[in-house]
Amino acid sequence: MKRRDFLKGMAVTGAAAGVSGGLGLIPKSAEARGKVDFGQVKGVKVDVLSETSWFDNAVFKKDIMDHGGAMTNQYKIPWNWDNAGGYMTKITVYPLEGDPKVFLMDTGWNNGWVDYIYDEKSDMGKLLTSGEVDTMILSHWHLDHYWGIESTLKRNPKITMYAPKTYFPEDMKLLKGGTNVAKAKDGGEVMINKNKVPHQGKLVLTSPDGEKGTGVYQVMPGMAVKMYDVPILLRVRGENVLYFNVKDKGIVTVTGCCHPGILTLNAWARRNVKGYQPYGCYGGLHITLFETWDPKFDDIIKGVKAFKLKKVGCNHCTGWIWAEKAAAAGVPIVKGTNKYKTYKRTSSVAKSSNAFLTNGDTVEF
Amino acid sequence: MSDGNANGAKFNYLYGLINLAVVFCIVWFLWYVFMHADGVMKLYTPMYGFSLVTVLVASVILLSQVLGWPADSEKPLAAGAAIVRGILGAAISLAIMYVTYYLVFWLFIGKYGVAYFSPSAMVAGGGTGAEPWNAREWASTAILYFTTAFLWWALVWNLGFGRWPWQNDSHWVRGWSRFFVISLLSVVTFALLFHPHVCLLFPEAQKMVGAKPWWEGWADTSSAFFGLGVVLCTMWWVVFSGLFWEGRPWSWFDRDGEGNLLKGVITFLATLAMGLITVYILAAIFNTIWMEPYVGGQYTDGPDWRFIHMAEVGGFCILFAFIWKYYFNNFPNGGPLLLRAFVRSVIGVTGGVLIYWFYYSPLTKFFLGKVHGWAQPDDKPLVWTLLFLAVVLVQAEFFHNWPLRSAGRDRG
Repeated sequence: MKRRDFLKGMAVTGAAAGVSGGLGLIPKSAEARGKVDFGQVKGVKVDVLSETSWFDNAVFKKDIMDHGGAMTNQYKIPWNWDNAGGYMTKITVYPLEGDPKVFLMDTGWNNGWVDYIYDEKSDMGKLLTSGEVDTMILSHWHLDHYWGIESTLKRNPKITMYAPKTYFPEDMKLLKGGTNVAKAKDGGEVMINKNKVPHQGKLVLTSPDGEKGTGVYQVMPGMAVKMYDVPILLRVRGENVLYFNVKDKGIVTVTGCCHPGILTLNAWARRNVKGYQPYGCYGGLHITLFETWDPKFDDIIKGVKAFKLKKVGCNHCTGWIWAEKAAAAGVPIVKGTNKYKTYKRTSSVAKSSNAFLTNGDTVEF
Repeated sequence: MSDGNANGAKFNYLYGLINLAVVFCIVWFLWYVFMHADGVMKLYTPMYGFSLVTVLVASVILLSQVLGWPADSEKPLAAGAAIVRGILGAAISLAIMYVTYYLVFWLFIGKYGVAYFSPSAMVAGGGTGAEPWNAREWASTAILYFTTAFLWWALVWNLGFGRWPWQNDSHWVRGWSRFFVISLLSVVTFALLFHPHVCLLFPEAQKMVGAKPWWEGWADTSSAFFGLGVVLCTMWWVVFSGLFWEGRPWSWFDRDGEGNLLKGVITFLATLAMGLITVYILAAIFNTIWMEPYVGGQYTDGPDWRFIHMAEVGGFCILFAFIWKYYFNNFPNGGPLLLRAFVRSVIGVTGGVLIYWFYYSPLTKFFLGKVHGWAQPDDKPLVWTLLFLAVVLVQAEFFHNWPLRSAGRDRG
């Protein structure tokens, strides 16, 4: 491996892609078929319904560490219910022609919190009930993105769902109207999630190959779901990412946690999307989840700068520290507001720097 | 299914296979008790368990290869004597591990000198992220790095310098002298390869304490996983040349059958060069499979992961080398050295690939509780590898490879 700058690395990436496809070591169907063109949209607006999946980092981390660390199974932890919030995003897509369409990404964790967000802090409850929101993209099967599913299904049980095909039995049990329990310290059982409304709508289980081997699932012109089959902490596997091709701007990614890495998302688009131009991103970027640090996080700042994204909207598992350091280093972080303070609960790590797009904030691409 | 060994006795490969199966089950049991997320101790956080098992291996190496106890580990013992000595060796190793980890690092050096070796010292210092869980992971990372440097020097010293320059001194003078010089060299290696990383672990980078990672421009990452990759790939050839090549070509530089300064320096530099070449080769292979990594890439796209993955591949091959040496009598043992060294090396790399396949197969979902896939940041294959290696070494060094090899019995 020789010293090289990022662009040179990306050029080599293209060459290496051909080699790896030729050896057949990993599926490269999209590369083999040429670049994908999933159309364009006029614009995208993202409303942060809730990025506070939990309110106290220390409590959440203690729950994990007390029960075996990051590799443990999320269904075996008797989570501290008082600490549970959830991650949900409202996405309004403006097509080149016609009326805007609204989508939901993820459905939170604590039903009480999700209902509060849906009914009191946004119009998502009404949009679900009326059927105006008829499609939900589940980014991945983590508790804070999925276990609040009952709140969505009781408003719209026939909602179309895109979800990673790499689910575990407990995930599907919950979706079909079940309950999961975990063992408490005293040996008794604790209910950790429930859903009394079975999903009746279309379930699109996504895989890395995408529709017809294109690598993506086109939701509407200019909007596609791409599934990355990656192992994730708490015994979860696979993440869906939303790609938008915004006319005259470029590619925008919207993520739940972005476990594969923001640069991987753009590197894939660079290799596989026709006319790729980097533009922006929104979502959790899964960097310094517990507000700690590692030298590789400095690498990510350098990489994001090299990729020349124009708008970086981040929150949730990105880590305030990373967002602040990235902003200081010149990454175009979209600052949030103080709207989150009007919510009945706030995150213990929220700061006045507003480096996060927090609950109630909006970003447009 | 038997073959002669160095002692002229017959070696039964079926027994070797059975022994390996039993050791696999022991490791599986230990994994469940100490590491498995559904197990008892749940130490796989992952750095805490990672550092503990690394210190355990270092303790076994310290006792057996640095201090040279027992001096006659190659000699078959009767069952009773082997069991007593084995239990004693294992107990002393665990005691060394405990003292080193908790007393030396946590309570002495960490508390009164270098705070990043002690979770409580870091928590007491306060600041962003300085809570017990983070602090334990930070301290574990630092201890892991130091121990890696120690393991490298312990193995390369044994292979290159051997008993020099204390060959005329008593056993214990030689052992303790070796310990101090290896420790000194480990401190220097740690300072150069790993300390800059540890100083960047904290939200407030310790820029006045640690230099900017000098390897960053070359490796495209400021993570010391770079150093881990280089060291493990180098140790790979230290172990292969020691076990599979029977100490050649380094033993050509022996004087009067003893190691010396020239031999030691040549061994160190040559194995390091071989390690660096291996890094280049593995980088090319990884680039072919996962495409070129880039600055800031995560999962398989991250340069930092590529380097630790090189370390993991090296670890798999090292583990298999010891398995082959102790459970399969280092087959083949006939023919010219060049040929048998080549055949063993091919077998060794193939075995490493076999372990790689096992670790990344769906089987480990059952055995280790692992989620299928590559590069999950909390998945550290070296933890299981080193745990396995610790058990292999304890049996070989302290139990004199009993029951596979036993005085008066026709097993090896």
